[in-house]
Amino acid sequence: MKTAVKKFKGLSDKAIAWIFITPTLILLLAINIYPLVYAIRMSFTNFYANKIGREPKFVGLKNYKKILGKEEIWEKMQITAHFVCWTLILQALIGLGLALLLNRKFKGNELLTTLIVLPMMLSPAVVGVFWTYLYNPQVGLFNYVVNFFYDFGVFDMIGSSTLAPWSIVIVDTWMWTPFTMLICLAGLRSIPNYLYEAAEVDRASKWQQFIHITLPSVLPFLLLALLFRGIENFKMFDLVVELTSGGPGSATELASINLKREAFEKWKTGYSSAFAVILFVTIFGFGNVYVKVMNKIKER
Amino acid sequence: MIFFLKLYNVSKLIIYKEELMRKILSVFLVPVFTLLFTFNAKAESLTLGWAAWDPANALQELSKEFTAETGVEMNFEFVPWPNFADRMLNELNNQGKTFDLLIGDSQWIGAGATYGHYVKLNDFFDANGISMDDFNPATVYAYSTWPKGTPNYYALPAMGDALAWAYRKDWFDRPELQSEFKSKHGYDLGVPKTWDELYDMCTFFQGREIDGVVRYGAAINTERGSEGITMGVTAAMYAWGMEYEDPNNPYSMDGYFNSAAAAEAVEFYKKMYDDCAPPGHSDAYMVANLDAYKSGQVAFQMNWYAFWPGVAKEDSDGRESGFFANPCQNVCAATLGGQGISVVSYSDKQDLALEYMKWFARPDIQQKWWDLGGYSCHMDVLGSPDFVDSAVYAQGFLDSMGIVKDFWQEPTFVELMLPMQERIHDYVVNGKGSAQDALDKIIEDWEEVFEADGKI
Repeated sequence: MKTAVKKFKGLSDKAIAWIFITPTLILLLAINIYPLVYAIRMSFTNFYANKIGREPKFVGLKNYKKILGKEEIWEKMQITAHFVCWTLILQALIGLGLALLLNRKFKGNELLTTLIVLPMMLSPAVVGVFWTYLYNPQVGLFNYVVNFFYDFGVFDMIGSSTLAPWSIVIVDTWMWTPFTMLICLAGLRSIPNYLYEAAEVDRASKWQQFIHITLPSVLPFLLLALLFRGIENFKMFDLVVELTSGGPGSATELASINLKREAFEKWKTGYSSAFAVILFVTIFGFGNVYVKVMNKIKER
Repeated sequence: MIFFLKLYNVSKLIIYKEELMRKILSVFLVPVFTLLFTFNAKAESLTLGWAAWDPANALQELSKEFTAETGVEMNFEFVPWPNFADRMLNELNNQGKTFDLLIGDSQWIGAGATYGHYVKLNDFFDANGISMDDFNPATVYAYSTWPKGTPNYYALPAMGDALAWAYRKDWFDRPELQSEFKSKHGYDLGVPKTWDELYDMCTFFQGREIDGVVRYGAAINTERGSEGITMGVTAAMYAWGMEYEDPNNPYSMDGYFNSAAAAEAVEFYKKMYDDCAPPGHSDAYMVANLDAYKSGQVAFQMNWYAFWPGVAKEDSDGRESGFFANPCQNVCAATLGGQGISVVSYSDKQDLALEYMKWFARPDIQQKWWDLGGYSCHMDVLGSPDFVDSAVYAQGFLDSMGIVKDFWQEPTFVELMLPMQERIHDYVVNGKGSAQDALDKIIEDWEEVFEADGKI
């Protein structure tokens, strides 16, 4: 033991660092990098994973050209963009609003926080299934509540192509707004009180305090939450599959659902690898730009 | 001398150690080995995969007899229908050894045979005196042969099935409803002979209050995710006379699959969805149709024969169910369901699995299979004089099995199914485009699949 300690003591900081990092690196290479490189390689072939014995042929950029030139793929991207944009907007507004509310001290604050956070802890598949019941036009609570305020009559949130894209936005917002709220709340609680005291001395109104102190301080936190949500929602699959199966027709078929169908139902492995690479580059590109913007905001 | 003494001591020590080891063996290892041998004695077991539904439970019950006869334990993995194809086809594509026997959907036979997932059974049938002539020809054609119609068998017909209809006979028998219907439509309210009559009856019940509750017309297939809406809409398309391809020019689909009659059938199906389905019935298949029917929402439900034993058995609170085969329109036809039982070629227990198949093919076992709620395809059972009276749905089943038509059974059937699901759902439920457009686009998608597969 002593020898081992002595030996360990003899190592440089850099060597020790490498010893700690190496297992993680190996895992990362095996689980992330290798499949990524393999998928990129596959994306240049016409490989079908279910056609046993059929050797994949190199097809160059054919899969990429096919995907980027396919009108239906752009439709799926539009559906995904609609879903991502609206969920982010709603989750930012409602999440920030709730955080501002819960940042005040009142009786039952902690209980309310716990209740609001509950949806986030549920499994997306479970949420998808029980919202199909809530949306049921005959017995669902959603229609009842909406009709309580204004009589729209019987309407089918999941079966209508106009309403279905909003049905998934509503459910995701319900489920994940607490996440945005929690991060914003952490941001709000990190703002030192003396800033508000100084503002009050300067006779700043509540609105001015919000615009000049609260919002700039909480913005980096909000942007971080939206980054996480944006990436997650771009890849959204389980909740929407359980809720609508991508229907009616293809009204809610997000890019990830389409990708799964191409890869594991049609078994177009080469084609779907190319699609996966395109989605990866899109998320990675957007993510990078976003992080740079976020850093600039922080620097201000 | 000292050396010998040491040797003596060492040998004593060895003997002592041996004794000690023996004791350890007797105390610990013997029970372990006994247990292992016990497991080994019971190690003869088979695993059978199928969908999770009523007939699977009947098969589990029936298989107890096989275990009693042979001592072979039967294990079952039943997968819910929406995930059935995904789970099983992934297993086959990965050459998995989970299943020794698989009751796979009729459309899988092409892939099963072409990609070597299923064991070819001709030699086994010949060696064991199992003749395909003893089974209903439509089921042999659909569930067993590849290429279609050739005497190359990859499955034994296990579960005959077709899409059919159940209706609320107790409502139909009400005199006030009968007279109202007759005065409105000029003919009796009863089992519809055509899709037009079916539509009249469905709309008659749509929104009607019976016993103080609002009822609806029909629970029809509208499911988007797997095969639901395709199985439903083809029930209409076959009745309108749709063919998938030119019989003289395989894979030439233009003018056949997208004929004017086929488009009319799809439009009719949409009309059924718009005017007869209960609200929210936009992603419904087997279980959702059953639920809508059992809860008293609808007068009709479209579903597989497999469910009728359960429906008939569960009639209660005044509900009386009637059953009928898919109505005719231009021709008489029905959507084929059902499955054959195959031996998985990746199984290490193929001999044992074939033993099970041999047992299952026995006429007495086939009779028990029908008695338990499974749909035997054996001619001894179907041709028995008691068969028609043995269940209220038996005649309908016989009628249907004579007119069944199936979706493509090509190895690429999933790739063919997915665009049909999407296009038809887009038109029927989503109201996007026209029926003709949907069918034309499906042909474009299918041509792409057949091209990639080297068929055209």
